[in-house]
Amino acid sequence: MAWRVGVDIGGTFIDFCVLETDTNRLESLKVLTTPDEPGRELIDGLGLLADRHGVEAAKVAAFVHGTTVGVNTIIQRKGARLALFTTAGFEDVIELARLRMPDMYSLFCTRPEQLVPRDLIFGIPGRILADGSDHYPLDEEVLADAVALARGKGVEGIIISFLHAYRNPLHERQAREMARRLAPELFVFSSSEVWPVIREYERTTTAILNGYVHPRVSAYLTSLETALKRRGVSGDPMLTKSNGGLMNLEAGKTACVSMLLSGTASGVMGAAFLARQAAVDNVLTLDIGGTSADLALIIDGRPQFGTGETVGDFPLFVPSVSVTSIGSGGGSIAWVDGFGVLKVGPESAGSSPGPACYGRGGGRATITDAMAVCGLLGNAPLAYDAIAIDRGLAERAVGEVAAKLGLGLQETAEAIVEVAISSMFVEVNKLIARYGVDPRDFTLMPFGGAGPMLGCFLARELGIGKVIVPQRPGVVSALGGLIADMKSDFIRTVFVPAETRSAPLIRDTFAALREDGERWLRDEHGFLGPARAALSADMRYDGQSFEIEVPIEEAWVGAGDVAAIKAAFHREHLAIYDFNDEAAGIQIVNLRLVITGMTARPALTPAPLAAGEAVPAREVDVWLDGVLRRVPLYARSGLAHAHRISGPAIVVQEDTTVCIPAGFDAAIDAYLNLNLASST
Amino acid sequence: MVDKVALQILANHCRAAAENMAYTLYRTAHSTFVKETQDFTVMLTDAGGMTVAVPMDLGATWYPGINFGRAISLIPDYAPGDIGFTNDPYSGYLATHAPDLHLWKPIFHEGEIVCFAGGHIHNTDMGGAVPASLSRALTEIHQEGIRFPPMKLYQAGKLDETILRIMLLNVRKPQQNLGDLKALVGALNTGERKVQAMLRKFGVDGFRAGLAGLLDYAEHQARDMLRSIPNGEYFFADYADEDSVDGNPCRLALTLRITGDEAELDFTGTDPQLTSSLNVPTGNDPRHTLLLVGVYYVLYTLNPHLVLNAGLTRPFTCIVPEGTVLNPVFPAAVGMRSLTCARLRSLIFGAFAQAIPERMPAAPAGASSIVNVMTTDERTQRTVIAAINPVVGGGGGMPHRDGPNGSGADSAYLKNTPIEINEAEVPVQFLRYGLLPDSGGAGRWRGGLATTLEFRVFAPNTRITVRNRDRCRFRPWGILGGSAAEPSNFILNPGSASEKILGNTDVAVADPGDVIHIHSPGGGGRGSPLDREPELVLRDVERGYVSLRAALSQYGVAIREGAVDGEETARRRAEKRRHNKPASFDFGPERQAFETVWTPARYDDFTMIMTALPVHWRFFAKTKLFEAVRELALDGTKPNLWEAFTAIRRAFPQMPPVQRKPNDQPAAADKKRMLAD
Repeated sequence: MAWRVGVDIGGTFIDFCVLETDTNRLESLKVLTTPDEPGRELIDGLGLLADRHGVEAAKVAAFVHGTTVGVNTIIQRKGARLALFTTAGFEDVIELARLRMPDMYSLFCTRPEQLVPRDLIFGIPGRILADGSDHYPLDEEVLADAVALARGKGVEGIIISFLHAYRNPLHERQAREMARRLAPELFVFSSSEVWPVIREYERTTTAILNGYVHPRVSAYLTSLETALKRRGVSGDPMLTKSNGGLMNLEAGKTACVSMLLSGTASGVMGAAFLARQAAVDNVLTLDIGGTSADLALIIDGRPQFGTGETVGDFPLFVPSVSVTSIGSGGGSIAWVDGFGVLKVGPESAGSSPGPACYGRGGGRATITDAMAVCGLLGNAPLAYDAIAIDRGLAERAVGEVAAKLGLGLQETAEAIVEVAISSMFVEVNKLIARYGVDPRDFTLMPFGGAGPMLGCFLARELGIGKVIVPQRPGVVSALGGLIADMKSDFIRTVFVPAETRSAPLIRDTFAALREDGERWLRDEHGFLGPARAALSADMRYDGQSFEIEVPIEEAWVGAGDVAAIKAAFHREHLAIYDFNDEAAGIQIVNLRLVITGMTARPALTPAPLAAGEAVPAREVDVWLDGVLRRVPLYARSGLAHAHRISGPAIVVQEDTTVCIPAGFDAAIDAYLNLNLASST
Repeated sequence: MVDKVALQILANHCRAAAENMAYTLYRTAHSTFVKETQDFTVMLTDAGGMTVAVPMDLGATWYPGINFGRAISLIPDYAPGDIGFTNDPYSGYLATHAPDLHLWKPIFHEGEIVCFAGGHIHNTDMGGAVPASLSRALTEIHQEGIRFPPMKLYQAGKLDETILRIMLLNVRKPQQNLGDLKALVGALNTGERKVQAMLRKFGVDGFRAGLAGLLDYAEHQARDMLRSIPNGEYFFADYADEDSVDGNPCRLALTLRITGDEAELDFTGTDPQLTSSLNVPTGNDPRHTLLLVGVYYVLYTLNPHLVLNAGLTRPFTCIVPEGTVLNPVFPAAVGMRSLTCARLRSLIFGAFAQAIPERMPAAPAGASSIVNVMTTDERTQRTVIAAINPVVGGGGGMPHRDGPNGSGADSAYLKNTPIEINEAEVPVQFLRYGLLPDSGGAGRWRGGLATTLEFRVFAPNTRITVRNRDRCRFRPWGILGGSAAEPSNFILNPGSASEKILGNTDVAVADPGDVIHIHSPGGGGRGSPLDREPELVLRDVERGYVSLRAALSQYGVAIREGAVDGEETARRRAEKRRHNKPASFDFGPERQAFETVWTPARYDDFTMIMTALPVHWRFFAKTKLFEAVRELALDGTKPNLWEAFTAIRRAFPQMPPVQRKPNDQPAAADKKRMLAD
């Protein structure tokens, strides 16, 4: 008997999800974090798992975990002091970035403070050209001076990023060797080893993010290893990556940039797994926490991947599960402007002080307070008994808003929810528009503390008729880690025309990528199971300034069939942009390979059919759709396979509350998901 | 249901509709202009054509207050499925140069128009005398491409193939135009679908009332802000360096009159319309959107919760005399209006900076050069034409922080192209792309630095075109004791024996091995540099933003061995303060010198002469007057404009006479003038 253990470490809670591999039994657990003693909660949790579910440390075959340590380092600006070496004449690469700034109507728009200040950026003479030729040798004297200066300024590490290093990393390698020789105490990363892709800003900033979080991530992983060893956990511990896959801790200590969206990405992977179990193909996931909400699309059962997600103030250019973060959550604050218009957000009460009704010193009305005033919250303790709702405090806070509007308390509360939903609607709509899909083809899957509370309301606004609330909405990320594959991305920039004469280069490059992939999976990770390599190419028409990624078949590469590659691009372009141009020239910018070492997906055991009808625990008074009414309240733990309930109703569970407005009917499926369908 | 409380809900739905339209257009457009430069807009308007909602993420920033009304009314009747369009700057005053194609689609409910979905795209080319249809040298609208007055492109859902064929025959990139046109039509259809959904949700009466409510809402916000500005008259002038190829300065003048919650923008004193394509067509519309772009920026900056729609324009009334550069009469060329529009924005920023200096930043760089190269690739022997990069300068110093370096303020929407992509595609080699030290205006809050771009070319007869060259002479101004920024420049082979200063030239030809250097202006400084914390000056020196020399000469901060010398700094600063006469604006020495000759009084005379002359004489007369004044000033004579004019009339007796009016009633603009005579 063996266990796979998935753990997601967040700001407030650590979520555990465990799977007994022989029986496919799934269990979960939530433990409060112990900020004073990091790692302690993990050991406590493992103890509880052993006590409650018989998960013996020695029988843990896989320990998979997601962490926010990387992303928090960036958000809190607590990373390493770095020096950056660039090609001389291009020292401002990270400050100029791609020029365009957010908030472009404001004369006060600014850029975030850079992670490497300009006085720690050193231009080094030496020049590789676009064709990879060594035009001007690296100036080792200037380099040595720069190392000495950087050292004198107390840096912990050096990032090297020279022009065209994706094509010829010679100068970067020379500089790296020399820096290591001259300053052995400093860590050094070069852009071509971190992510060797064309576009200097993107490549440089990726290398910087990697170095910036490296010391903290590395130290954290080392202490985790120690703790697990002490606890006697037998399996090889793994880390979830932004690409939804896994790597071992050793790899995580240097390939830090690929774990920045660790927990977020595995949430989407977990959601995709649950959707597959429930036979739902198209899903919009909605993870709402206190201050923000994460949205992702699963199309035809597959999470979407992309680059350009943001981490803190910075764009992330390594392949990641596409997740859109919006600044609205349960803690978003309601206010009234000078014209008497009700607004919600962008200011948030966050988790501290939090909504007024948490009784932790928050005084301003939040979405959570509005839900409490409506009677939708406060019927049971929240977050595994960690929070008790004080409805009186919620009423006082919402009352202040009501007075300004000249409306009743409940009307105001409902209006707050409606305004909040409509602002989420704007963001979800943009996401849907970007993908050019129809929301009516999608099922909404809300999770996170506030997701199931608001899910049906948002679905109604979007014209989405189906909502699915997983049995354990609080541990979707931990579950995502549990079922994740070993996975790594490799890229080479080739920048060649899609013509037959490029076929040998394409073949050779893919062969080299495959070698890199095999080495990563078999040698570095000792993975023995079945593996798969997916090939793709980033391509564009001549004159375009962005590429689209096109899946490439192995056979085309072997046969040198560039025509097939071109045809695939034309098809993909048509599918994404509604047009193509078969007469136009095509460029192949990058070739990519994704190596995947497959983890067996558990087939969860269907739950037995319920014996009778669902029985409400009691009835509560709630304000819904403009009237006060008495609605049944169910305990999620009492809901069994094939139970049906009709809205309006409320379902409470340890980690969240599900609000079911009138017009929605719910059915519990074999995996105990709550399936809601709009009857209108 | 759309009462004030719920107005935000309708606002969000309208915004979502606009964002959806923008994504549809962006996703399906063909040309780089739309895809990368994002030179497009989409919007929902009310039944009268007033813009109610625009996207915030994608597209250009110029048209949240655009009014389709005049263009809409030039088509007598509409049926469901119709789409109107125009690109003519002189009919309907919707389009503002020929490459911009504006479309609008009526959206019906039970036989009645409830609103319009509208938008525009900038076509890479609309035909005419030069590729891309834009050149400063063009002199009348007929040279700037084929034009269509407001007419139906679609009738009841059916495309008018005849119109389309005529259009495509006359342009240089028909496939791109067609692709972008279809993308915009797709966006309008998206807008229509979203409006239908809103009609179901809010009801037709609720929707109509909601649109009216949204316009009122924006109007209220604008009036609220105007009330917070002291009543008064605020005069400001700004200059474009050249009014035509190698031309004279082009002056824009504005008297901003704030009365309670209303504002009048009186552009009297602005130069006459030009025989070049720098004119801005506004069709006597007192609330034309191009006149108010600077206002949108100011209002949004003062209130980031601002609802962007045409309601904002209601409290503003513009007075723009006909036959001036800001209200040219047919057939003046208008293609390069964007250069003048940049000055128009800094003009408005300057006027507001007089009224509420405590809340406004100094001038942004305000001149974004768009660099294109046409050269030969020696490897393939093929001609390569490529857009290299916009060269953009920093923002002005703000009330609470430095201006951003290398971009910002009203040019923050521009994007660059990576050096590596440029070098992979275009046979040039970049030597430098970065910030220019000491280019930001000194101040308590420093102006953002300028950007420098330097590259070498390898083929003979390489043509470099740089659009929107300006601010080479008249610098971005500083305020409240802050200094003006460094001006821009365009230099061939800098620092070599064959160095050639090209200044505002917008076309240059280079030989193999030549180095092209372009730098933008910086942003103006705000507040006295003597008040900047020495630590911040030290940090700027460490970062290479400010030189040691400038730290001492401009900021009075002495730095020795990497540390501030406190005593020496105190001494220097005290000395500087004694000599310092604080002025509210610093325009830099070039403008100061220019304005000792071209004083406000002389400009009043000039305006009087120009106004009296028939429009077709004005530019000629202006050029001659400037020539005469230049010669007189060289001789050391105090130029008398009337005498000079009389002399010119002697040489050109066909020129009509102008009656000198008694100057005892000075223009209102003179009453509260800050410019030193």
